[in-house]
Amino acid sequence: MSHIKYLLLVSRQGKVRLMKWYQPLTEKAKTKIINDLTPLILGRKPKMCNILDYSDHKVIYRRYASLYFIIGITPNVDNELLCLDLVHRYVETMDVYFGNVCELDIIFNFAKAYDILNEMVMCDGSLAESSKKEVLYAVQTMDGMDDNDKLEKVLS
Amino acid sequence: MAASSLRSFIKDVRAAKTLADERSIVTKQSAKVRTKLRDDHLPHSKRRTNIQKLLYLYILGEKTHFGQVECINLIASDQFVDKRLGYLATNLLLDEQQDLLTLLTNMLNNDLTHLNKYIVSLALMTLGSLSSNELARDLYPDVEAIMQSSKDPFLLKKALQVVAKLICKDASLLEIFPLGFLTTNILSSGLLPTHGVWLGVCKVLTAILSNITSEVPEPTINEIVQQLKVLTPQLLSKLSSLNTKNLEPAFDVQGVQDPFLQCELISTLKWIFKISTELDAKDVLSFTDKFSDLLTQLATNTDTHKNPGQAVLYEITRTIFDLNMSQPLRILGINILGNFLKTGKGVKLNNNIKYVALNTLIDVVKREPDAVQRHRTFISSCLYDPDISIKFRSLELTFAILNEDNLLELVKEIICFLEKIANPNFDRLSPYVDIDDSKDLIVYSVDHLIEKFDLYPESKESEKLRNLFKILGVVGGIINLDTINEFLITINNITKWADKIGILFEMLQATISNDRANIGSQLVSIWCIGEYADILLKFESNDKVINEISMANYLLKLDSGSRISNNCLLIHYVMTAALKLSSKISEPAAVERLRQIIKSHSKDPNLSIQTKSIQYELIFNQPNNVKRLMLTAMPKFNRNRVVNNDEQTQLRKLQHQQENAKSNTTADLLLDLLSEPAPTKNKNKAPAQHVVLPENSTLINESNQLEVYSFPVSIVEGNAHFELYFKNKGPEVTNLQSLCAVPKTQKLILGQIHPSHNDIGINQFVKQSLKISGSGNLKLRVKLSYTSRDGGPMTEQFDHKFNHSI
Repeated sequence: MSHIKYLLLVSRQGKVRLMKWYQPLTEKAKTKIINDLTPLILGRKPKMCNILDYSDHKVIYRRYASLYFIIGITPNVDNELLCLDLVHRYVETMDVYFGNVCELDIIFNFAKAYDILNEMVMCDGSLAESSKKEVLYAVQTMDGMDDNDKLEKVLS
Repeated sequence: MAASSLRSFIKDVRAAKTLADERSIVTKQSAKVRTKLRDDHLPHSKRRTNIQKLLYLYILGEKTHFGQVECINLIASDQFVDKRLGYLATNLLLDEQQDLLTLLTNMLNNDLTHLNKYIVSLALMTLGSLSSNELARDLYPDVEAIMQSSKDPFLLKKALQVVAKLICKDASLLEIFPLGFLTTNILSSGLLPTHGVWLGVCKVLTAILSNITSEVPEPTINEIVQQLKVLTPQLLSKLSSLNTKNLEPAFDVQGVQDPFLQCELISTLKWIFKISTELDAKDVLSFTDKFSDLLTQLATNTDTHKNPGQAVLYEITRTIFDLNMSQPLRILGINILGNFLKTGKGVKLNNNIKYVALNTLIDVVKREPDAVQRHRTFISSCLYDPDISIKFRSLELTFAILNEDNLLELVKEIICFLEKIANPNFDRLSPYVDIDDSKDLIVYSVDHLIEKFDLYPESKESEKLRNLFKILGVVGGIINLDTINEFLITINNITKWADKIGILFEMLQATISNDRANIGSQLVSIWCIGEYADILLKFESNDKVINEISMANYLLKLDSGSRISNNCLLIHYVMTAALKLSSKISEPAAVERLRQIIKSHSKDPNLSIQTKSIQYELIFNQPNNVKRLMLTAMPKFNRNRVVNNDEQTQLRKLQHQQENAKSNTTADLLLDLLSEPAPTKNKNKAPAQHVVLPENSTLINESNQLEVYSFPVSIVEGNAHFELYFKNKGPEVTNLQSLCAVPKTQKLILGQIHPSHNDIGINQFVKQSLKISGSGNLKLRVKLSYTSRDGGPMTEQFDHKFNHSI
């Protein structure tokens, strides 16, 4: 049973590229988490494990090129190892969608990154779809409908 | 030129050279978006651009509250492109606690019945992440309708997820949820149950099971149990079918078939068996054997080399221990975790599995200590892992498995480890550990090593002493000097003289001739000189390093050294040792040196040292036989250590039993004397403790519910100790709290209500101790609050003046 608290994408320079909170938190608490975790995780060496204890919960992270994917999880409910795979699945899906995804893709198309994420993870951070194909199909169909709308607008 | 599209806005922000530049761009855009959004006649495409900019501002961590209503308005549009962005923005910018959500109710209601399934899915997603309690109640029927009518797995999986969320929000919904629908329509249909739908089903089941409380009515529970009877085998067979080598490419994660669904199924089954055990649902529990077999099968067939397989295995072990399944399975679980520690070697360094394995082992080591013991070598090899959190966990685990049998071996291992990390160059050798971390590790190890000193049997006392000095030699300069006391107590309590003196002799030899011994070793040697000089001098040895003069010189040397470093603790130790030594030796030159040490501090700026020096000088000048009497060796020490929780509860239990026995007998005696009818004993509570009112207590207050008596335990000048007795006259009282105040010239220490502030039956007494210190007349103001079974919460207040003063 996955019960993710939040997902953050942070660049090597410590800039937030994407954030999604699955729990209602105050702005202050959110800022604190970001400010605490960024230096903590950026400072970790490659050989260290990807799981750390932070305040009342655990945080797992995974680095892809210049981008850190950070997930806050509920201890004893979430499976740490599985969450690492979840991150991987998300990255893989974006990789197919954007075609060799890189940080810039996410910066400029953050809305798409959110769309993909929302197809995979729903409600309070539980995994809704494990098939890459399904997720991509849904997002791409919706993209098509977007374009249709825009086209009609132009034609009318 | 201000940026007009989102793309150029992002580019501008990225191109900003300085932080100030960036700020000014962001503030400008933020203001612009704010004014634009206020314009009602803004065309939709512009509106979208501005909302997108707003989202970018959100990611940058800027304030976005001003656009929240606009996001919701965008949902109202007929166009899909508007709706999609509107829902996305609403999802991100709002959260469950905002009042604005009521604005959403209508729109969600409309969109949940929309013909376009993607619009329905967007509405579901939004309801799933933004469901206040009202939304949960209002919109649940719509979601259930989608679940019942939809033949599309895409909508079905989302509807199931949302149902699960709504049940968590409002647990009463589980009474109306048609659980039977899952089995009859969804899972048994050939086309519908995709993996997404299975995930949804698991989610709903978990939500229902985790929200079962005692308030759920009996018929609902029976219905749930009936359904679980059908569902459990379905889940089991799905799980078993996933464990194949025939991989479907869409679900293949590095050679494991959908580990996500596998874990979800395992954890759902865990919930089913957990709740069935609580409900004692035998029909469901009859599947336990099947579940155990399946878990064993999964454990053997799953690939252990890659993360997805490890995730499944990890889930299996967690389930085994959460459900406390049969012993062979528990051993299996421990072996899986043990293997996790192993795979780090050779194959590929994977610290994550080491981390989870150690973490879990620490939790379960108490249940299967022997099985964990078998993986000892791998656990201790993790001590040398570069990652500090793994080091710490393996250290903790090492101490957890340490027992009489492996004591010597493991302690050796730990000392070895300490030698490594106490090395001053260690932080340079291992870039992963900083100096503070290694200090924490050392302090932790030493504290626990000392605790384990009690484990050594009498026959191994010489090893204990040797280990002690080894530890001291390694970490004596790093540890907190208070810990030295623990070492001294251990030395003092060793009773096998022959070995002890031999080892002490060697140790002293080493430290006296070593100028660079650490402060810990120095303190211990000083203490040993003071304590055991006479016996050490009698010790037969060829080496004459230790004699009266050398010992006195050693003290003198340290004393003069400590003046420079101004180490008070060392001076205290030296003075006491000098005094004690003086009674044990006869060489006049040496005695004179010792006198000089003590005398030299008679004008010390540190008051406690000065006082000590003067007092010691007086004793020093006493005749030898008097001195010897005053300065005899230390008696055996009893350690008062803070016991850990388990022991504490055990101790507490013991105490309770004893008190029970005691108070019962006194009660009986009193009953005999007063020949009153026996007080009704509280039958449903096993440890019924009776507090009995002492004879000369006085009634100080009386209300409808409570009588309060006071009993003076002791009253001396400056201090008074009372006990307050509360007698419950009316119906049962719970949560009794008493607050007392005394005059300003006095101080009060208020004890806990004994035996319990809850469930005080009729005519039962409870007591509370009051310790007052200070001066003046004894006065008391008491405020009582409690909950009476009939009357609800009550408060009382009264003042009382005692006849005594302190």
